[in-house]
Amino acid sequence: MALQSPVSLSFQGLYRNFGRLAVLRDISGSVSAGEILLVTGANGSGKSTLLKCLAGLLAPDLGSIKYWEVGQEFTTAERRLRLGYAAPDLSFYDELTAEENLDFFARMRRCPTQRPRELLDRVDLPGGRMGHALSSGMRQRLRWCWALLHRPRLLLLDEPFQNLDEPGCRAATQLLEEHLANGAAVVANPGALDLPYVTRHLNLDN
Amino acid sequence: MSQDISIWTTEALAVFAKEWRCELRTGYALNTLGLFAITTLVVMSISLGHLGIASTEPTTVLPVLLWILLLFAVSAGLPRAFVFEEESQTAIALRLSARPSSLFCGKLAYSFSVVLALEIIVTPLFLTLMHLKIETMPVLLFALVAGGYGLAAGGTLVAAIIAQARSSTTLFSVLALPVLLPLLVLAIEITRSAVAGDPAPIASRQLLLYDGSVTIAGLLLFPAVWNP
Repeated sequence: MALQSPVSLSFQGLYRNFGRLAVLRDISGSVSAGEILLVTGANGSGKSTLLKCLAGLLAPDLGSIKYWEVGQEFTTAERRLRLGYAAPDLSFYDELTAEENLDFFARMRRCPTQRPRELLDRVDLPGGRMGHALSSGMRQRLRWCWALLHRPRLLLLDEPFQNLDEPGCRAATQLLEEHLANGAAVVANPGALDLPYVTRHLNLDN
Repeated sequence: MSQDISIWTTEALAVFAKEWRCELRTGYALNTLGLFAITTLVVMSISLGHLGIASTEPTTVLPVLLWILLLFAVSAGLPRAFVFEEESQTAIALRLSARPSSLFCGKLAYSFSVVLALEIIVTPLFLTLMHLKIETMPVLLFALVAGGYGLAAGGTLVAAIIAQARSSTTLFSVLALPVLLPLLVLAIEITRSAVAGDPAPIASRQLLLYDGSVTIAGLLLFPAVWNP
């Protein structure tokens, strides 16, 4: 699977505790190009923690996470820089405009200079609006732009449609569909929205 | 290899430019450092300097006061370098976008430029108000540049270590003491030499060695303290 697919993520036997509280216990799964792994579970079941572990933002206490792109395996540090991530705790600089925020990260990620503008147009977000003046829905649109800035092969999305109005949800769903032509996604808490291409399901309540 | 260096430089410059853009819009570090330094300087000058009782041993005492002033001013502003990223939750986006070494160097370059700006404002004022005469100006300039770099490098490293701690300000003071103490001793000695007209070659070499060591230690330690 790893050699054939443009992108592949698999994780085995993940454990993660916060002090004495066991949040993840023996969690395994995988996802490949064109697929969505849907992660569900009750509040506090560890969905966000799992996504943070997959993103390399938290280290699991036990277990392994393997990530390939076109047969090449990447380390955690490399995976961290390659994937796209959107979650409620992802914030941007209040002192910069939406476009300046994306420009900064585009430079860090060596993206073409027109890429931020292109994405802002796709989600219909005014690029000149200062970070502190963005509404919660606008911030969510900016998260989508940021996640897709460097055309990642893997998207990790936690509550990706929260605070989005109907046009926002449509734009985000379309971006997700386009991403899945060549990439994979792990989605937690998608809300009531019907997601395309859900091929795998991981219920953390079990 | 050259492409890697070019990419790394672009990333570090992007961080540097972002820091200054945010700073110029909020003025947080410049205001904090500047206000602290000017207030302290005025108090010192009234108590000890030209406006008050002149020190009987200006060569010994005044270089110490200059570096204590710079240290405290820097301590008031630099700990924010990474704490701010954690508190405003922008650290997540940075962790997923920037290589630790280029991020550290971008932050360090920004801190160094802030310290230099502070020194450019504070030092002439200090020399004038405290009536301190410098015999060899190049030695003083070396002390300010190399010592300022050491303050920025040590301060950035400690700021990175404390960023995820709860009592970050207290922790900065505790951790900064052993890191910055050798720097202060050397910078004070070189500044005294500048006042006395000596070249201070040994202390200057030691200060350069300190700067190099802290930079290398920062580059090696930063990925471990920044990433989980």
